[in-house]
Amino acid sequence: MSIRNIFPIIVLSLCISCNDFLDIRPTGKIIAETGAEYRALLTYVYKNIPEDRGLSSLRSDEFDLINSINEYDYTSYFDIWAWNDLSRQDGTSSWGWRGYYHTIYIANYVIEHQHEITQATRSEIDQMVGEAYMLRAYMHFLLVNLYADAYTACDPATTRGIPLQLQADVEQVLRCSSVEAVYKSILDDIESARKHLNVERWDEGYTYRFNTISADALKARVALYMGRWQEAFDAAETVLTAYPDLEDMNLSTSTLPTHYKSVESIVALEQVMTANVQALESVSASLLAAYRSGDLRKSKYFKAKTLSVWILRKGGTNEQRCSFRSGEFYLIAAETANELNRPDIAADYLKRLMQKRYTEKKYTEYASAIDTMTKEELRTEILNERRCELAFEGHRWYDLRRTGQPELTKTYKNKAGETTTYTLDEGDSRYSIMFPTEAVEANPEIEIWN
Amino acid sequence: MKKLLYILLFLSVGLHLSAQSRTIIGQVFDGESSNEPIAGAIISLQKSDKTIVSGTMTDDKGLFSITVNDDIKTLVVSFMGYATQHIAIKGDNNKYTIVLQLLSNEMDEVVVTGYQKIERRKLTAAVSSIDISEEKVGAVKNIDQALAGQVAGLSAVSSSGAPGAPVKIRIRGTASINGTQDPLWVLDGIPLEGTDIPSMEDLKDIDEIYQTSIAGLNPADIENITVLKDAAATAIYGARAANGVIVITTRKGKAGKAQINFSAKLTCNPKTDISRLNLLNSAEKVDLELGLLSQNYSYREHKGYVSSILSSMGQLDTYKTGGWEALTPDAQAAINNLRATETDWNDILFRPVVNQEYYLSLSGGTDKASYYTSLGYYDEQGNVKGVDNNRFNITLKTDYQINKYLSVGASIFANQRKQNSYLTDYNGFTNPVYYSRLANPYMQPYDENGNYIYDTNVQGKETSSLAFNIFEERENTSNRRTDRSFMAVFDAALRATDYLKFTTQAGLQLDGYTLDRYAGENSYAMRKEKLFAEYLVDGEKKTILPDGGMHKVNENHTFQWTWKAMAEYSQRFRKIHAVEAMAGMELRHIEAETLYTAAYGYDPRTLTTQPIIFPSENIAESYPLHQETFTENAYVSWFATASYSLKDRYTVGGSIRFDGSDVFGVAKKYRYLPLYSVSALWRIKEESFLRDVEAIDNLAVRASYGLQGNIDKQTSPYLIGILDKTTILPGNIEDEIETETAPNPSLRWEKTQNVNVGFDFSVLDRAINLTVDYYYRRSTDLIGMKMLPLETGFSSTTINWASMTNKGVEIALATRNIYTKSFTWTTNINIGINQNKVLQETVAENATYPSRQGYPVGAIFAYKTAGLDEEGYPLYLTADGQAVSATEFFKLNSAGASTLTAEEQRNLYTYMGTTDPKISGGFINNFEWRNWQLGINLVFNFGMKVRVTPSYNPTTYDRGLNTNRDILDAWSPTNTGGKFPRLMNAGTRAPEYVQYSEYNLYSMLDMWVKKSNYMRCQSIRLGYKFEGKWLEKLRVKSASLSLEGRNLFVISSNYDNFLDPETMGNPYAQPIPKSIIFGVNVNF
Repeated sequence: MSIRNIFPIIVLSLCISCNDFLDIRPTGKIIAETGAEYRALLTYVYKNIPEDRGLSSLRSDEFDLINSINEYDYTSYFDIWAWNDLSRQDGTSSWGWRGYYHTIYIANYVIEHQHEITQATRSEIDQMVGEAYMLRAYMHFLLVNLYADAYTACDPATTRGIPLQLQADVEQVLRCSSVEAVYKSILDDIESARKHLNVERWDEGYTYRFNTISADALKARVALYMGRWQEAFDAAETVLTAYPDLEDMNLSTSTLPTHYKSVESIVALEQVMTANVQALESVSASLLAAYRSGDLRKSKYFKAKTLSVWILRKGGTNEQRCSFRSGEFYLIAAETANELNRPDIAADYLKRLMQKRYTEKKYTEYASAIDTMTKEELRTEILNERRCELAFEGHRWYDLRRTGQPELTKTYKNKAGETTTYTLDEGDSRYSIMFPTEAVEANPEIEIWN
Repeated sequence: MKKLLYILLFLSVGLHLSAQSRTIIGQVFDGESSNEPIAGAIISLQKSDKTIVSGTMTDDKGLFSITVNDDIKTLVVSFMGYATQHIAIKGDNNKYTIVLQLLSNEMDEVVVTGYQKIERRKLTAAVSSIDISEEKVGAVKNIDQALAGQVAGLSAVSSSGAPGAPVKIRIRGTASINGTQDPLWVLDGIPLEGTDIPSMEDLKDIDEIYQTSIAGLNPADIENITVLKDAAATAIYGARAANGVIVITTRKGKAGKAQINFSAKLTCNPKTDISRLNLLNSAEKVDLELGLLSQNYSYREHKGYVSSILSSMGQLDTYKTGGWEALTPDAQAAINNLRATETDWNDILFRPVVNQEYYLSLSGGTDKASYYTSLGYYDEQGNVKGVDNNRFNITLKTDYQINKYLSVGASIFANQRKQNSYLTDYNGFTNPVYYSRLANPYMQPYDENGNYIYDTNVQGKETSSLAFNIFEERENTSNRRTDRSFMAVFDAALRATDYLKFTTQAGLQLDGYTLDRYAGENSYAMRKEKLFAEYLVDGEKKTILPDGGMHKVNENHTFQWTWKAMAEYSQRFRKIHAVEAMAGMELRHIEAETLYTAAYGYDPRTLTTQPIIFPSENIAESYPLHQETFTENAYVSWFATASYSLKDRYTVGGSIRFDGSDVFGVAKKYRYLPLYSVSALWRIKEESFLRDVEAIDNLAVRASYGLQGNIDKQTSPYLIGILDKTTILPGNIEDEIETETAPNPSLRWEKTQNVNVGFDFSVLDRAINLTVDYYYRRSTDLIGMKMLPLETGFSSTTINWASMTNKGVEIALATRNIYTKSFTWTTNINIGINQNKVLQETVAENATYPSRQGYPVGAIFAYKTAGLDEEGYPLYLTADGQAVSATEFFKLNSAGASTLTAEEQRNLYTYMGTTDPKISGGFINNFEWRNWQLGINLVFNFGMKVRVTPSYNPTTYDRGLNTNRDILDAWSPTNTGGKFPRLMNAGTRAPEYVQYSEYNLYSMLDMWVKKSNYMRCQSIRLGYKFEGKWLEKLRVKSASLSLEGRNLFVISSNYDNFLDPETMGNPYAQPIPKSIIFGVNVNF
């Protein structure tokens, strides 16, 4: 009968150990507490920033699609390229939406929880908070430029922008803010970021993170898009003081300026051209024609496969990550100085860039031409230089949007030999992308404006 | 209890009688199995003073002979498992024939709940029990198929006719939304893991080979299934039992001589007939394509053979402008040739099959020990070529009584299952059932030299270069799943005193499967894989995958152990008070591991693979070659039950259980959830006023109340992430925390209150048995998925969204209509009427689909249409009865998006009905005549609605694909009387076009909601039992033959264009096959 006595003892001892028995930490699951863990939260969103700037390249005049395109690419990209927004085929690549807002969520989360972060110095925490403000500003900036009218092409105060997300709260149902309100928030965030950022230069391998100067870099681009020339100029100058170096393409040792190790690299975050988009073998003829003789960039950026088919060397790998680089700021400084009626300064910045991009002989020829240009001519010159310099870096579509939204035409010859022409009218509403269907389905209120 | 006595022979035997004693002879028969003699029945003798003295036993032929004195007035005939009979010795009659009835309907019966064995006369809960025999359930391959129509309130729906496909079982409707809706399965006391059917959100998921662990059990090994329905029965199982419990009791060896049982079955399934799909034939399809060209319908204009013939001859524009007459004779001849070619896809994709099944068992024992061993094998071929399933079972069971106090038992269940199917593809068309609907009738799979003709139309793309041929695909790809499962149950019982018993039970379950997918180099799957892997490598565009095939393997292992220990106390005081109590604890621990590997450049002859040379880290990241997961869960529970009976008339009972589980990111106090029930039983029959009413055998009333609960373990108030490694810039590996699960601080327990009231009634020697139960289940704080506005950064979260009620009535009526020595007719009718209503539902502010508040949970809402306008576009019926266009109805903007608020959009819908049956049940008839037995089993489901896939989409009908004849009735300029919407062009009425092509509008129209009522003839089975001396000479105890037709016909509301009312909503489902089964059963 001794079993009768043992039995309750066994049960009792088991009860005591039950809490241990239930203490199971699920493999890999974690609630962020330490500085390193908050950093890992940020790393995840840095890694997953939508690469829509590369997709927007298809929509601009940088690609001519040809019928040797494989069916997967055709399905994914054709209707984006041909502006067929209202009759997209199934499987068309989608523009990001939740991806941006997920990044914003984590940014908001870091901002809201900054006082709870453990095992990190004040400056480490500040830096992460600064980066969070930068991420929030940059994501809103990308969204408003993808989905709403260009700031300079509308009345920003009364034009529908995008939903502005400033809280980490899953219970909110947002409506759109005006374009002006979105830009104001972006500028505010940049200022908040400036107060927190304290890492001037990241070590190699971490340069995808925002550093102190990136606040000015983003400020310069945002102000440029708003047509606030003085602010843009000032910010661009500040950037160039810190990052004046350019790749000299006359040297055989120069790398692609989009390479993360390039001397021009300021923030090596976005890959811009995903491997799939980069592999489309169809650099547009008009872009190729924009490169004048002696332009070293043509062979640096592209490679001729046949006489008419040129393929892209830029992008496509994680070595070529580039969100901000010095080259862009020479062009911003030049463009804004010209608008501010300072042709001398404009010409100076432009020439400093051109010197590194053209053969010596051709540089001398083109540089002297610049000195005699009118303001209009110089503007055209700068924009053309911008098109050549920043080709396939996710700038062209936005430049088209903010500089008059010109008429574009594209033709496609199918395998049966039939040619179809597609036209984007001047100021066409398709210069802004429709909200993604899944976003409207998840929150129809974003379509409501006034 | 009322005795059943059938004395069928009164032969007077002229024996001389002595006044003191006489010899009585007789024979005892089994009333259940056509009067087989019972060997070993015990004949006791009752004196006039009611004392009993021992007597004798029957021999092999059921015969006995006993000498009795004068004071013996009654023979008491008993046999284990049968109702004991008291037979009065009459006058000078010395020869008796006694027929014993099985105990199945007797109050002495014991109900097995998995934790306890409860005498039915003390049972306060709603429980149904079925003994599993082939006569009863027919030749089922899996035990879940056996339950259809057998239990009131249990619905069993086959989602697919694929071999081995699981059956969806619901007990008393749907109580949970987010959590599992499947019942808990318990095998000999141990809850099984791996019994949930994954929710198939994408219809195509039905293609994935899937099996639950239930599929590993051989129905022939199962003796009884008990279904626990109300809280009084299920509360003891805790949180997992919210959807009911199905308790399986397997066969055991019986004391007596060794028994060998062998059975074999041959099943013939005739070829599937797809003529019901009403697909276009070649002539119709060609005319349709010509018609679309002349209408200038532009979607995928270059698809279809007509278009490609005209394009290749340069006459596409000629035809569009000039029509048929303008074509050259060559072109006309080529198109006419298409009309004349007719491929019967039905014939070449499907096949008739013959399946086999064998079972062999050896069982027996003594009063100290018993054993049961069985082997089972079955092999099932699908009607779809290349689809099959087989199973091999071994079961071993031993029970041993060590001494007066201690008994132990051990059982082992092992099985292996193999399934073969086609390799699935994202687009679904590698599924032959689906392909048979899409393939053009004028297309041929082979050319005259026997080479494959590739179908490039089917891929759902504008330009398609990938070659697909369904026969090549079948030849060069494979998709195999092998399941191996092992389960062991050990139990021990210690009877400490007459009142106190300790029992313990340990169960191990080890389930593992390997999913093995192979695609050879010459297959569509491989071509596609290679195309997707094209990248710029050194300025050249090429695929990064090496030559050869691919081989992907998923390994999955689950290991659970359960240990429970209980103390049971049972005592009677002063003959009228009976107390029973039980308390115990249970520990459960589960580990699951998965492993995925992929290899390319695979050569199946040498089993070698080639390495992939990745051009960059990003690309390498999108080709994971090795992935592992590991999850671990633990549970601790305490439970107790108690009951008190007074005079066997009044019983009250209660049970309570604390369920604790590991939850991460939640305060420890939330770990334990108390669940309880209280119940009562009043056996009115035992009251003095009814006790002597002979006609009434039983009358009892039951009532119970209980609380069940559930918590979602995936959701936490905190932001929980998954730690991982990533590379952003080359060569720099960093930690990242992936945070794709939205936190939710306001999540509460989900609770269900259950009320059950029922009565059991039987009269006329149990000729009529009626059980009626009414139940009411109120679930509050139900946990459900909510779509989040994507601006939150997440797509969905889990919230307490609703409360709902399920109420219903279950009626189980069993009647013995005719009962004579040679003919018996019994009927069972089970009816479940369930009414489900959502009391409150938090509809997200952003939802455009209406709230189900006030409607059933399976509510279907649709837009009411009012025919077509003068351009063939659907008109919508507004609330005030006006017919308006889509633009007006939805207030569309130029981008085709509605400018109405979410709430206004919700209000545009109209309630159409519910997907759940209002009435479901079974109607079972059994006839026995001499050695013949006939069973007819009908199941029915009434009052459902189903949303079907539209016949064609007006914006995206792809002319490269076949469709059903509805499209011939589409509105067109030449057919203005057409019933269905026109095919629309992108250029015209652009906002509406966007709605039809981009949004889900078209399938939400009321015309795609169909009524569904059906009655299926599940089984008609004719059995014959051999009899005669020759059996004995062959040393055969018994032998029988059977012929069964399963699923022979279905009576249903209109299901034109569909194969089967049950699979109507899913075009990918394999139809449920008709089958004819021939069976032999021999007992040695």
